[in-house]
Amino acid sequence: MNLPIFSSYDFDSRFYDEIFDKDKKVREIYTTLFSLFSEHSVQDFVKLNDQAKASFFNQGITFQVYNENETKEKIFPFDLFPRIIDAEEWLVIEKGVLQRSKALNLFLWDIYHDKKIIKQGIVPLEMISSSTNYLHQMMHLDPPGGIYNHISGTDLIKHSDGNYYVLEDNIRCPSGVSYVICNRTALKRALHGVFNHYKSYTVTDYAQNLLEILETVKPKGVDNPNCVVITPGIFNSAYYEHSFLAKEMGVQLVEGRDLFVENDFVYMKTINGPVKVDVIYRRIDDLYIDPLEFSPSSALGVPGLFAAYKKGNVCLVNAPGTGVADDKAIYTYMPQIIKYYLDEEPILNNVHTYHCSRQKELDYVLNNIASLVIKPVDESGGYGISIGNKLSKEEISEVKKTVQANPRKYIAQPIMSLSTHATYIEGTESFEPRHVDLRTFTLLGAKKDFVLKGGLTRVALKKGNLVVNSSQGGGSKDTWVLMKQ
Amino acid sequence: MLARVANNLFWMGRYIERSEHIARYLNINYFSSLDAPNQMSQSRQFVLRSMIFMVDDPVSDPDKILAEEEVLFDIGLNPTKNYAIINCLKYARENANSARDLISFELYESINKLYHSISNYCPEKFVKNGLYDFSLLVTKSTAAIRGKIRGTLLHDEVYAIIMLGINIERAHQVIRTINAKYHDALIAKGSYGDLIKNSYEWTTLLKCADAYDMMRRFDKRTPTSISTLEFLILNNNCPRSVMNSLNQIDKYIKVLSENVILEKNSAAFLIGKIRAEFEFKTIDDFEEDLNDFFEKTLNKLMEIGLKMEIEYFNVN
Repeated sequence: MNLPIFSSYDFDSRFYDEIFDKDKKVREIYTTLFSLFSEHSVQDFVKLNDQAKASFFNQGITFQVYNENETKEKIFPFDLFPRIIDAEEWLVIEKGVLQRSKALNLFLWDIYHDKKIIKQGIVPLEMISSSTNYLHQMMHLDPPGGIYNHISGTDLIKHSDGNYYVLEDNIRCPSGVSYVICNRTALKRALHGVFNHYKSYTVTDYAQNLLEILETVKPKGVDNPNCVVITPGIFNSAYYEHSFLAKEMGVQLVEGRDLFVENDFVYMKTINGPVKVDVIYRRIDDLYIDPLEFSPSSALGVPGLFAAYKKGNVCLVNAPGTGVADDKAIYTYMPQIIKYYLDEEPILNNVHTYHCSRQKELDYVLNNIASLVIKPVDESGGYGISIGNKLSKEEISEVKKTVQANPRKYIAQPIMSLSTHATYIEGTESFEPRHVDLRTFTLLGAKKDFVLKGGLTRVALKKGNLVVNSSQGGGSKDTWVLMKQ
Repeated sequence: MLARVANNLFWMGRYIERSEHIARYLNINYFSSLDAPNQMSQSRQFVLRSMIFMVDDPVSDPDKILAEEEVLFDIGLNPTKNYAIINCLKYARENANSARDLISFELYESINKLYHSISNYCPEKFVKNGLYDFSLLVTKSTAAIRGKIRGTLLHDEVYAIIMLGINIERAHQVIRTINAKYHDALIAKGSYGDLIKNSYEWTTLLKCADAYDMMRRFDKRTPTSISTLEFLILNNNCPRSVMNSLNQIDKYIKVLSENVILEKNSAAFLIGKIRAEFEFKTIDDFEEDLNDFFEKTLNKLMEIGLKMEIEYFNVN
């Protein structure tokens, strides 16, 4: 702890710090890294940090931020201090996220078919029928391979008790995996002398596995499926990721206008004429994929696409209508859902959640906003979240009004103590503790599954901030999963 | 390859090439004029008008006094001028971005980096004393980008489309450059005490096309109108000649239309036709009426571009 670069490392004993234990000793897993870091001066880190930033910027690994007058290109801040997860701890995470993904898939099949879980009173009907993400068009429709959530992003945190908790499951269009791979490349370049002291798993095999998963859900009668990635276009904030995944898989990146449907088959327009498309990894939300079936004003989608899907002539990845299961109110039923479909106990913990749709729980929430996080059930990207202890009196009464006006739209959770991790702060040119979470990526195919050994450690760069989303000023870290010794 | 993406790659190639020609034109004309052999070609107004002639419609009012800093800013960095180098690079990057899954990381990075360097270039520095540095940055970087195109992409349809864009644009720009310098030579005619054929502007023209040194190797005499035009239009071996560009266009359109019987008036057919015409042209055929020749050639190139759009890039 005598490194100058750690001189402003301020402990807060309320949180679990991943680098230092309660006695301010470096945790064992980080000792090698820590001693290697001590060979670098403050100036070295300033230089490395600048180089990493320039490298991301020049490579165009950026996202767009829109203001009134202009569009700004920003890099997703990358932190030089990696997060390390040991083999044993990872095994629990991997099993746990896979278990959740499988259970969610079975849940989706059930609610779009026989609705047994509702009939048996385990999940209330209104949780489904009132969800804005429930698509009646998906009823009794069998997706190829029986898979709905081919790609799941599970957000985990490490609480002050040292255990992992799942904050949410993202099974619509989870993003961020390209940063996992780019962060690794950047870190290896900047600190190869540190990286080669740890034996960690590669993350570069993600695209290969994704392509294999896409190929397992090909429509019937197709031998060599033509897979594509569909993007809203270059102005979408995640366009870099879309182009990255297409390139890494060696498949075409298409926009809605590149595709058309004829006789319920989907084709792309190439310089040599139409070519049939079999599997579409879509990075366009449900509402916009087909103007004939969903939002008629959408110019992003493909007219007739859903009809082709219904006929089984094309596979959409993830399936439309998965959003009903990553609804934050459904989240609270996850232990029961896992038990019901898999007959297993949940491997990962859920955070206790209050449903504002239930009168008793609503009363509790309204009286205890200051100690709770209030979240809308159907938003993503960290939007609409209120953290009770950061609100003024006026803001609390504002939140109360909003929740009362539409209780079904909100859930509340105790304020969880996200663990802290050493993060390079440009302003002070030193490492300081900042809150982090972890997004894992799970792939589910017909007779194949895969969990990326690593993940996106997102970090809230503002001191004391608990929201880590990139749209809210968050950054990220390379995440090393160590091999068994 | 998607038709839309083919269109993006084609225009990526065109805009990269265009920015290079404009940057070199600024550089060579500006610096050559400083110690040009007569008063007219040393005049600032003469050079500034020539620059505008190259990128836009000529300045029609003969009495208008042009402001140097304004002209330089417009051509280099003015985001509201379509012909500005900054916009060429912006469009090149946007097109590259739309085809990002098909091109290499290295290629995208080199285009992206150049765009950022230019868009962050201080306009004040540029118009006061940064012209040399700025234009060199563009010409050097575009050459490096072409190196990435050649060295990091598969030489398949993607490559053929980019090369088509580059070479069609090159033919366009070389003709525009010749036209602009021919126009300059006409204006400066009286001041040379000689005929137009020995004008200093021919040397400048060769330098604008990056072909001066090789011209001296090819023909040791001082460049004249005839020798310069012959070299830049008809020489098969000069990499910047119109003939060479046509040869390249013909080569790459064949990659796209392999095993296809050419239809009359298809893009590939028209390219073959214009190339064949050029192959048997001599300078005597067009020396008399150069303006007419330039116009007709530019129109034919434009027609080929439009045909390509219909045949290969039509996404509707």
